[in-house]
Amino acid sequence: MFKSFVLPGKEHPVKFDEEIAYTETSKDTPPVDGLVQPAPGRLHRLHGTTTLGFVFQHGVLIAVDSRSTMGQYISSQTVKKVIEITPRLLGTMAGGAADCDYWERRLARRVRLRELESKEEVTVAAASRMLANMLYYYKGMGLSVGTMVAGFDASGPHLYYVDNDGVRYHNDRFSVGSGSTYAYAILDQEYRYDLSVEEAVTLGRRAIYHATHRDAMSGGFINVYLMTEDGWQRYPTKDCYVEHYGEEEPFLE
Amino acid sequence: MQESAYSFSLTTFSPSGKLGQIDHAFAAVAGGSTSIGIKAVDGVVLAAEKKIRSELIEKESVIKVAKLSKYCGVTYAGMGPDFRVLLKEGRKDAEAYRVRFGEECPVSEVSRNLAQVMQEYTQSGGVRPFGCSLLVIGKEADGKPGLFQVDPSGSFFAWKAACVGHGASDAQSYLEKRYEEKLGLDDAIHIALLTLQESFDGKLTPESCEIGVCGGKYGSEFRRLTMEEIDEYLS
Amino acid sequence: MSNPFTLNGGTVLSMKGKNCVVILCDTRLGSQYETVSTSFPKIFKMNPRVFFGLAGLASDVITLHHKLRFHVNLFQLKQERSMPPHVFSKLVSTTLYEKRFGSFFAQPIIAGLHDDGSPFISSMDSIGATTEPEDFVVAGTGADYVTGACEKYWEKDMEPRQLLKVADKCLQAGVNRDAFSGWGGVAYLITPEGVEKFDLKMRQD
Repeated sequence: MFKSFVLPGKEHPVKFDEEIAYTETSKDTPPVDGLVQPAPGRLHRLHGTTTLGFVFQHGVLIAVDSRSTMGQYISSQTVKKVIEITPRLLGTMAGGAADCDYWERRLARRVRLRELESKEEVTVAAASRMLANMLYYYKGMGLSVGTMVAGFDASGPHLYYVDNDGVRYHNDRFSVGSGSTYAYAILDQEYRYDLSVEEAVTLGRRAIYHATHRDAMSGGFINVYLMTEDGWQRYPTKDCYVEHYGEEEPFLE
Repeated sequence: MQESAYSFSLTTFSPSGKLGQIDHAFAAVAGGSTSIGIKAVDGVVLAAEKKIRSELIEKESVIKVAKLSKYCGVTYAGMGPDFRVLLKEGRKDAEAYRVRFGEECPVSEVSRNLAQVMQEYTQSGGVRPFGCSLLVIGKEADGKPGLFQVDPSGSFFAWKAACVGHGASDAQSYLEKRYEEKLGLDDAIHIALLTLQESFDGKLTPESCEIGVCGGKYGSEFRRLTMEEIDEYLS
Repeated sequence: MSNPFTLNGGTVLSMKGKNCVVILCDTRLGSQYETVSTSFPKIFKMNPRVFFGLAGLASDVITLHHKLRFHVNLFQLKQERSMPPHVFSKLVSTTLYEKRFGSFFAQPIIAGLHDDGSPFISSMDSIGATTEPEDFVVAGTGADYVTGACEKYWEKDMEPRQLLKVADKCLQAGVNRDAFSGWGGVAYLITPEGVEKFDLKMRQD
């Protein structure tokens, strides 16, 4: 088990990393006003995304798209953007795929270790705080994480937003990623606490679908998870094509 | 200053609705040596009478039939210097067309452009109309031969056989008798020379006429015949 | 500022067949990552036998189309004949090079049939350097991806229906890998018998 990350042997390791990550592979988007622009590099897959989550009477619903892009290139349409942390904790992925994946896995490990030690379930509040603290430690070093931590604990269903700035918010609904504004438009209009499970799933899918339609960086399939007292359950994945046309995409011979 | 008759533009209507300068330009054309053009099935020919005022002039330096573009040629009746200006404009327009569209300028387009230039000189201030009529031959967009007459007024017509210059009216009635549909280029060249001979004082020689052709055995490119080639047609 | 060539997105493709030619485009109009319209065709009918596709900055697509329309209509009126495809191609090229310094941010492709029924396709860069290949031409933000599919599936002397099918497949395969293209498509199949227009059903994400 390694103790910490090895940094580049340079005077400004972060600056060096940014140069490698962005400018080397994408000279067409140079830094503007000294700020490095998100760019299609070999590093930092999955910049565009739409994810959403909301708390309602039956628990928490999470819906995400499945597209991964490197600049304008669609590198995958079948990405799993929901990370199963524990049976009663879920995390979503937005920003850098590797960063989200790593830090949420690390969170899973820490949550598990703490549960073994204390013989008590880690609350959603505690888990999201652990993640926020880890990200805060590396603040300014170029991590790209925009995640929602959804869970069910003794105090009921909870939804937190955590990102690489070290920010941590608690609310009844969030949407994260490049398509979030489009998703919010649907979500804010139709969200109610007393939604039925079926209504909630439909709303989640519909919000993601509309976001994928408007946002070029979101698309592929829609994955839905429902978190209840009994833990999370996954709903069948649905192609955006099916969501739009009501039929399977034909195979062009 | 008192407004006088002299301060009027040369291109101003007379009360009777005539443009005197254009009539004068036609008079200049009517005084010019005869030029004729005949369209055949497989090509088209220009023939022009060449007046050489002195034995001391280098005969080859007098040019009445000129190549305008790869597939087009032109001759005239009237004032030689005015013709040269039109030839220069025509060549520029044809070349501009070729550069823009990537194909040779069709003869109808060449004629239209020349007519456009000539019309502008009937309506602009400070200029006079051109003192010459043109006969333009060449290839059309569909590959067929074309023959056009362009006048100082700016009007232009497509002809089967046309003539301009001092012998034009005699030549025209002669051509009307001689012309037939399905004429071959070789026959057309012969008829052209015979028509010229009609109004020519004395016997036509290779020095006293010029011929330009395109089509037939000469290929689709416009070409002026050499004196030797003309001699063969005359003998 | 972002790259004007990719700001609005869009892809155009044209393929040669046996006495036929097909030209296709997507219908997206975007502003960076936001899809603004899904009904923005990039192919224009210049005359019954010549079609013209433009990929690039939408405002230049519209402007260049109008500019060329002006010349094509004038040509038709003056010469009382349709402008042949190779002549139109040259016109586009010279029109583009007129703006060598400060060019249009658009890449055109031209597809048409000659009077003898033989197909013509050409493509050029934004300042008019032309290529007239034997097989297919592509332009736009998804051009790289579409090219790959075309390399695999294009065959010599395809019949009209097969040509349309192959071109549709290649366009969709490419466009579905490009975030800036898609959201619907239009195809024109040009044969000596006439022109058929098709709306292409595509993914909407």
